Amino acid sequence: MSRVGVIGIGHGRFGRRSDATVQELAFEAYRMAMQDAGIQRQDIDASVIGAVPEYHKQRSIAGVIQEYLNLNPAPTWLTEVACASGSAAIRTAWMSIKAGLHDVVVVIGCQKMTELATPEILALMGRVGEVQWESVFGTTFPAYYAMFATAHTKQFGTTHEQMLKVAMKNHYYGAQNPNALFQKEITMEKALASEAVASPFQVYDCCANADGAACVILASEEKAKAMSDKVVWLDGIGCATASMSVLNRPNLVSLPSAADAAKQAYKMAGIKASDVKVAEVHDCFTIAEIMAYEDLGFCKKGDGGKFIDEKQSYIGGSTPVNVDGGLKSKGHPIGATGVSMTYEIISQLRGDSGVRQVPNADIGLTHNVGGIGQYTFVHVYKRD
Amino acid sequence: MDLGLAGKVAIVTGGSLGIGQSVALELAREGANVAVNYRRHDKEANAVVGEIDSMGQQGMAVQADVSSYADAQKMVDTVVEKFGRLDILVCNAGITWDGVIWKMTEAQWDAVIGVNLKGYFNYNRAAAKVFKDQKSGKIVNVSSINGMRGKFGQSNYAASKGGEIALSKSLAKELGKFNVNVNVVAPGMVLTDMMATIPPEFQQTALDETVVGRFATPEDVANLILFLCSDVSRHLTGEVIKIDGGQYI
Amino acid sequence: MFSWFGQVSFVPFSKVMEFARHLKNGRLMGTKCKSCSYTIFPPRADCPECMSGDFEFKEYSGKGKVFTYSTIAAAPTGFEALAPYTVAVVELDEGGRLLAMLGDTLDAATLDIGMDVQVVPRIDEEVPQIKVYYTIEKAGVTWKKAPPHTVD
Repeated sequence: MSRVGVIGIGHGRFGRRSDATVQELAFEAYRMAMQDAGIQRQDIDASVIGAVPEYHKQRSIAGVIQEYLNLNPAPTWLTEVACASGSAAIRTAWMSIKAGLHDVVVVIGCQKMTELATPEILALMGRVGEVQWESVFGTTFPAYYAMFATAHTKQFGTTHEQMLKVAMKNHYYGAQNPNALFQKEITMEKALASEAVASPFQVYDCCANADGAACVILASEEKAKAMSDKVVWLDGIGCATASMSVLNRPNLVSLPSAADAAKQAYKMAGIKASDVKVAEVHDCFTIAEIMAYEDLGFCKKGDGGKFIDEKQSYIGGSTPVNVDGGLKSKGHPIGATGVSMTYEIISQLRGDSGVRQVPNADIGLTHNVGGIGQYTFVHVYKRD
Repeated sequence: MDLGLAGKVAIVTGGSLGIGQSVALELAREGANVAVNYRRHDKEANAVVGEIDSMGQQGMAVQADVSSYADAQKMVDTVVEKFGRLDILVCNAGITWDGVIWKMTEAQWDAVIGVNLKGYFNYNRAAAKVFKDQKSGKIVNVSSINGMRGKFGQSNYAASKGGEIALSKSLAKELGKFNVNVNVVAPGMVLTDMMATIPPEFQQTALDETVVGRFATPEDVANLILFLCSDVSRHLTGEVIKIDGGQYI
Repeated sequence: MFSWFGQVSFVPFSKVMEFARHLKNGRLMGTKCKSCSYTIFPPRADCPECMSGDFEFKEYSGKGKVFTYSTIAAAPTGFEALAPYTVAVVELDEGGRLLAMLGDTLDAATLDIGMDVQVVPRIDEEVPQIKVYYTIEKAGVTWKKAPPHTVD
């Protein structure tokens, strides 16, 4: 079976990008990826766009981006699964290449969050739960994950300090990432003094909205080998869903869609959890990263707090996680995040991550969650 | 038509005389248990209770001045304690104390407003609290066609009777979602003791006003009130039904 | 009619919207599939097991245990005046779960996962329109239900 590889990557600055439209943001990342791949517009067969449309005034985003990238008449379409839209776009590109329909596909993950006012954004985000039975009582996106945190604390004794250590780690690495929204470290004192959001979460438990774009270019094995000498292979793909409503989940201390997706990806790539040298996980909230350690098998169920206490997710630990700052430090332009994670893993596997390089990184993983775990995409990358 | 009143618990204010007495007895005849209040007419109240008991239903006479907020609450509490529930409130107790306004004293005004309008507020409020928890209840407030038109020498009475209508409509809006109906019955001239105090020439004027050439009996009015106490009228609320033989069309 | 349900409604109509009328009369209803008897809460019109669309409402006691909770300080649109408020997920004794706010008999400080609670149907008394919801109260709290004739 032939492989699919990544031949080019690009990443724009995440932040409050009122200086640019979403298609201009997309172009920043696209230009970088094209130059990185060293290919021409004519080499591209199709594009797939990962973005969440409700936040943009422009309707039918994929078409606008395709035009701006000057890729007409090549096919394009949008993939949307909330915060996992970027990974869904990558999976779709992978599928079209595996099917033999296309050889070279550009994937853009892009998002402007700040076209809307903050209350509108909060209201929209809150409705990623179940609108008929939950939103009617004032649930918010942070509140959902906060309830996971409450349950995780009850069942495993995970402390709020352990959760905040995740934020501290991600700010530590984000401070070294020029693309990140927040490039400053934080202290435990500052985090504990921050405003309450939804118990036990305070401001520093939560990722921030941001605008931004990232781009990866995928190619079939034949084309990849011909076009690039630093191909990173997408060898494991997993995807699973869980109920939209948290009322119907088996438990509220893990994301079953993540565990299921990871199993699929590990099997396809022929690896086990301990083979992963560097990972990007979906830390929309601190507890989400702790649960990711467990769901991905980096540690035993319930030991996520211990994992961060022991600094196992720092460079030098058993599985470095989010050493580009994660969602917490980069910000979370929801459609872009999955592709941003991929950019980091590809960089790491190429050995291009400079001061944040994980030594001997040859197998990497992205874990991209949509909403409150309604969808998880886990991708395993390998460098030969 | 089965009014379905068997086993219901009712309070009728001013239930020892006139319309109230007739309502209390008719309710009992339909199988309800009835509590009546009295201020001074204890003999008449006990006689009504006696008749109710002889029908096989439970009657109760409670001394309560309707114009007293505390008395009304206490009476409702007492009835609910004894019977475990309250299903029907008929507010009927009322007085007149006529006079042209330039001769009307403060006492005349306060007394009529106090008994008629405030009295209905006192009982409606106490019953409303019970009804909304129960998610069911019937309130019938007895007003008058003289609450719908002006009446010479009855500015206080007309004001109180008109006020009862507006009160009832407001309560219909507040209590509807709790399956509570609040309606008004507006009689014209009724053959009761209160009529005895009206001079004959005014009685004749009233008779000429009707198109049927007769006055209502207390039973005529009680029949309408019973209909409004029944679940067969569950879709009627916030309504004012005149029962005046055509006196005021 | 489903727009009666909740502090803020996003869903005006639903095949199970009679749920709101039952709640108004004091009854918490799930649904039971007429084809295969599969019972579920929250109610749904289409059976997840056998796909039949033929269902009937089935009353739930509202007894359950706290599954998890959070006190929300940063509130979404329509809930600003209520903040901070606590929402909890309750695992119902008869199966299924629901999410609601705490009522007056419970304090967030005394809440614990696993404790017994009672879900109580509520009608908003302070507004002219019909608004129904439920709150989570201490175990043992009672309430009255409307007599059968009030349900068509």
